[in-house]
Amino acid sequence: MSLSEYSTKDLSDWDEKICEIARSYGLDWFDINYEICDYYEMIGHMSYHGMPSHYNHWSYGKTFERTHLNYNMGQSGLPYEMIINSNPSIAYLMMQNPLYLQVLIMAHCVGHSDFFKNNRCFKDTDPDHVVSRMRNAKKRIQGYIEDPSIGQEKVESFLDSLHAIKYQTNRYGIPRQTRDEIKAQEIKRFNTYKKKGLLLDYDDLETRRLLKPDHDMLSFFTEYYPDKFSNWQLDLLEIVKQDSWYFMPQIQTKILNEGWASFWHYKILHDLKLPDSLHLPFLKMHNAVVRPHLGGVNPYHVGFYIFQKMEREHGLERCFEIRSNHDDVAALRMLLDEEDFRELNFFAYENKKDGSAVVTEVTDHDDWKTVRNEMIIKTGINMIPHIYVDRVDTDGTLVLKHEHDGRDLDLDYADKVMDHVRAMWDKEVKLFTIIEEEVWEI
Amino acid sequence: MSVFKNHKTVADRSATDRRRHKEKIDKAIKEGIHDIVAEESIIGQDGKKKIKIPVRGIKEYQFIYGVGSGTKGVGSAQGQDVQKGQVVRKAKQKGKGKGEPDKPGNNAGEDYYDVEVSLDELAKYLFDDLNLPELAKKQNNTVTSERIKRKGYRSKGINARLSKKETLKNKIRRKNQAIKNGTFDPDSGERFPFHEDDLKYKHIEVTKKPITNAVIFMIMDVSGSMTKRKKFLARSFFFLLYQFIRFKYQNIDLVFISHTTTAKETNEDDFFKKASSGGTYISSGLEKAEQIIQERYSPSSWNIYTFHCSDGENWSEDNPKALEKMRNLVNISQLAGYIQIKRSQEKIWGDEMAKIFEPLISEKFKVINIRDKKDIWPQFSKLFGGKYELI
Repeated sequence: MSLSEYSTKDLSDWDEKICEIARSYGLDWFDINYEICDYYEMIGHMSYHGMPSHYNHWSYGKTFERTHLNYNMGQSGLPYEMIINSNPSIAYLMMQNPLYLQVLIMAHCVGHSDFFKNNRCFKDTDPDHVVSRMRNAKKRIQGYIEDPSIGQEKVESFLDSLHAIKYQTNRYGIPRQTRDEIKAQEIKRFNTYKKKGLLLDYDDLETRRLLKPDHDMLSFFTEYYPDKFSNWQLDLLEIVKQDSWYFMPQIQTKILNEGWASFWHYKILHDLKLPDSLHLPFLKMHNAVVRPHLGGVNPYHVGFYIFQKMEREHGLERCFEIRSNHDDVAALRMLLDEEDFRELNFFAYENKKDGSAVVTEVTDHDDWKTVRNEMIIKTGINMIPHIYVDRVDTDGTLVLKHEHDGRDLDLDYADKVMDHVRAMWDKEVKLFTIIEEEVWEI
Repeated sequence: MSVFKNHKTVADRSATDRRRHKEKIDKAIKEGIHDIVAEESIIGQDGKKKIKIPVRGIKEYQFIYGVGSGTKGVGSAQGQDVQKGQVVRKAKQKGKGKGEPDKPGNNAGEDYYDVEVSLDELAKYLFDDLNLPELAKKQNNTVTSERIKRKGYRSKGINARLSKKETLKNKIRRKNQAIKNGTFDPDSGERFPFHEDDLKYKHIEVTKKPITNAVIFMIMDVSGSMTKRKKFLARSFFFLLYQFIRFKYQNIDLVFISHTTTAKETNEDDFFKKASSGGTYISSGLEKAEQIIQERYSPSSWNIYTFHCSDGENWSEDNPKALEKMRNLVNISQLAGYIQIKRSQEKIWGDEMAKIFEPLISEKFKVINIRDKKDIWPQFSKLFGGKYELI
């Protein structure tokens, strides 16, 4: 059964029922626009994270090729659903999908859209304007490419550099302090020192641009050293930063977001009282989606588990609180106990020199917390090493530091990223990290 | 409630980015190719032979954590009982891929394309922007030859060009997807029929090329002083030249001459494979070329290209004659080249040929020196106006 065997009318009839049930539970989501497309267009949209318009860069072409290749070789199917955080939300339905799958996807999308609209992490993503903002960014970048004084090569290589550090920006959504605010704080600090008889250099506060370490590298460049960049470069910096800020919450809430959407498609499809011909394939598909991945972590599995448990033990209201206030790290830390970890049956392993992996901890009484903590540092923003601007020396040297949490950087990659940073900075650039317990300078 | 609309198929949205990506890969292949142009294994092969070139994928670098020894990961045991100390991923076998079903999935996939290209494709990568100089001069503009080439597949076509293989592949693809989606049960015994969209037809393209009257002389010194290594370098160079001509031009005559103190015309097989020994009269090879030109290739209607490869050593009594003969050849050739294969610290008797030929150097006569394998491509490229620069 494919789109030839059901009509758009069928879809909208099912949608109406889905929405009615969802509303009765108190879900509150953006209107959803469903685009019906074929697999080729689906891969096209996937390559740009589902954004209907996004600036061009060769890396998206690479993503397309890889997805297309894997699909053609049968190594992977396509994700059945894709929805973006915008108002209205835009979701894609592949026309080859059978009806039961479309129904499942639509219910799933309602869950996602509700999550986007209500979860705290997304509050600054500006879903009302993201689509037009990205369309405008694309136009501007196209303009720079066509500008004979700039051109493709320059735009592309600057974007290459920016992509290398695109996640080295505001990690936790903390409001950014202006230089004046920092200065006021510093003066306060200086004065307390003064009372203790220590004299600090006030002049320095006037002349030095960066007064304390900056944990948002992208903002650091635009705010403290705009004179090092031309206008089009500053614009690109801003565009990439906006992109990162927009996508970061999705990285932080992968487990909860997918869990919430799965939790709701499961509930809604039960309430829909589907005929057996749709219900059985639905159950089969649902089980495939939330099954644990052997040797890995399936966010659908963990997220679905969390919300089911919360509903069972604390009621639906608690679930709504979690979807509003938590991110993945908080959820793993606060909502799951020893019993849950035993149930989920996770284990920690260590990679050995010869390429093998050996189990180091299982979820027993002694070790379940170790397993949990290992999981937490592999979750959300913790997957991305934290590099920050420590200072700019008087000779102009840019000094970066890595907030080392016990995990060493991949040096090959770090070297290459540093080449990109050096391409952006006209003086020396240094990065300090720790490799095998020794301070390491790149 | 929600809005449904059929997606308006606009232009293929990722086309631009795919093109840029492909250009980057092409560049990476080109860069990788120069290292292998002088590999033993490709010399003397025909165009169909496939060569594997490892091309580093175009990576996107970011700060990431290492995944090497000592790093940790977490995984689900999925209903199995896992014990401390249990090996969940076996050690990598040497020379074998991973292919381990129960490996923890944390390997940051290495982007490495093992691109398999045929010599013909290799030639395309190498020779695209190189040209024989001034070939247009003596063209018979009116005469063209047609060349029919297969070029991809189309969804429309005549029955005779139906590609059964591609059509079947499409059907299988569609079937697998249907099974995955649960719309088709392979065990039901039901037939999974072909669909019109599955059909693929071979597409052919006719290209026209002007016929050129050109002849290339490849003259190689095979005397005793040409060690095995030097002969190999000379052959590599000529092989490259040969592939270049074959790729770029149709209806070009090739003349192979190998010489010691005497010269003889050989076929390409002997030229590339046969060893010889003895003394050296550079002039003998040149004289032979001159003689063949007089007999078969009148300079008034033929474009003539002459390339001579030797180790720079000549019996000194032959030097004046060699210079004289080379001068004659330069005069009637569009381009002549002398390729000397010699390490810079190598001592030879008397003056080396590169020096003897120096007075002839001009637009039409180039002298190049090849010290080792690394030089072959840059020097070759330089000879034919490539933009390749020595690194």
